[in-house]
Amino acid sequence: MAEVGVQTGRRRRHEGIVIGDDWPGYSLDLFSYPAHYSGDLDCVIVPHGVIMDRTERLARNIMDDLGDHHIVVLCVLKGGYQFCADLVDQIKALSCTSEHTILMRVHFIRLKSYLNDQSTEDLHILGAEDLSFLTGKNVLIVEGIVGTGKTMETLLKHVEAFRPKMIKVAGLLVKRVQNRSARVPDYVGFEIPNRFVVGYALDYNEYFRDLNHICVISDSGKKKYKI
Amino acid sequence: MATSSSCVVISDEEQGYDLDLFCIPKHYAADLERVYIPHGLILDRTERLAREIMKEMGGHHIVALCVLKGGYKFFADLLDYIKALNRNSDRSIPMTVDFIRLKSYCNDQSTGEIKVIGGDDLSTLTGKNVLIVEDIIDTGKTMKTLLQLLKQYNPKMVKVFNAPVFMKETHPFSLFLCVSVVGFEVPDKFVVGYALDYNEYFRDLNHICVISETGKEKYKA
Repeated sequence: MAEVGVQTGRRRRHEGIVIGDDWPGYSLDLFSYPAHYSGDLDCVIVPHGVIMDRTERLARNIMDDLGDHHIVVLCVLKGGYQFCADLVDQIKALSCTSEHTILMRVHFIRLKSYLNDQSTEDLHILGAEDLSFLTGKNVLIVEGIVGTGKTMETLLKHVEAFRPKMIKVAGLLVKRVQNRSARVPDYVGFEIPNRFVVGYALDYNEYFRDLNHICVISDSGKKKYKI
Repeated sequence: MATSSSCVVISDEEQGYDLDLFCIPKHYAADLERVYIPHGLILDRTERLAREIMKEMGGHHIVALCVLKGGYKFFADLLDYIKALNRNSDRSIPMTVDFIRLKSYCNDQSTGEIKVIGGDDLSTLTGKNVLIVEDIIDTGKTMKTLLQLLKQYNPKMVKVFNAPVFMKETHPFSLFLCVSVVGFEVPDKFVVGYALDYNEYFRDLNHICVISETGKEKYKA
């Protein structure tokens, strides 16, 4: 399938599953997807089941690091909601069956910075005016996708101002981009090529959130749903 | 025996299950009395609710509106089942999602104004089938006000789901006008878990359980 990072072991653990630029993805015919998106997608880049399996492992890594702590999960809407729901579910399962447990409380904030498929300069953080409940707490920010990292930087600065005890970031997808800002998430699901992807709560102008695989949008799809 | 509201009815005498019969997070071990509705049962019921929704609303673009925070777990599970139906039949319906919070302002006359925080412009609801998924609420007044507010934007259809439990005793008759489809009808016990919190705790518990006295003390506001 995809190119896996050569070294295993804790040092490179945070890279995630690396999906190479040359990899063409899976044909849509091999999977089930909503009929109303026929013609709007090029290929499946990460099937839903693989997302779930990878998330299961991220949950274990988080449990290894943060086990027996209380954490506040900060879910970044809307793109992060599916990953957050599934990640929290996996951590819950471990809290029931493994030796350790994590008490989680979940809060939601919303970031708005994309128009069509371009990242805009203005970042709006909604629902995050008063994050004073984060002071002194362990915070786990859960985000669906990290691109240049600009959005994540802005969000981190905002959260840090409320002086939490510790901040960790879990990102399902991290794009390989040239001008990446400093911080890579602590827990990365997949490192992907710099293409515009949709599905698993990631949208193109609000469409495709109801698609459970991560796919590459087609040119006709971009045109059809353009604003 | 099917009742007129057609949901799983849990009687007053129902004792629930011993905690040892299921997996619960270790950090809540002392805070719960019994498992009341196991997670798997909630999911199975939700799977059927998804089918009912598609039957009623599946003719037209659906906007799924999640009322945070209590609604989110049920919202995610319900949408998973709807998505499964969508990708496995020849007919499918586009669905967009949004998340809102409701802030109610009650003045002395209790006319109950509410403010909708955080969602997209409500004009995106015009002409759509709107599916509202929300937490248990006490009186249904907030939901009634929300529905009145939404009417101004001319959605095609609006349906409300309480996530997923409906407490008969705490809801006055007026709520029956709002709630369209019900997962479970339960007696007025102090339950937590799944979508239901106690001062923000227990959202990370899969089953719906009865809270213990220890739990009530420990997580008091």
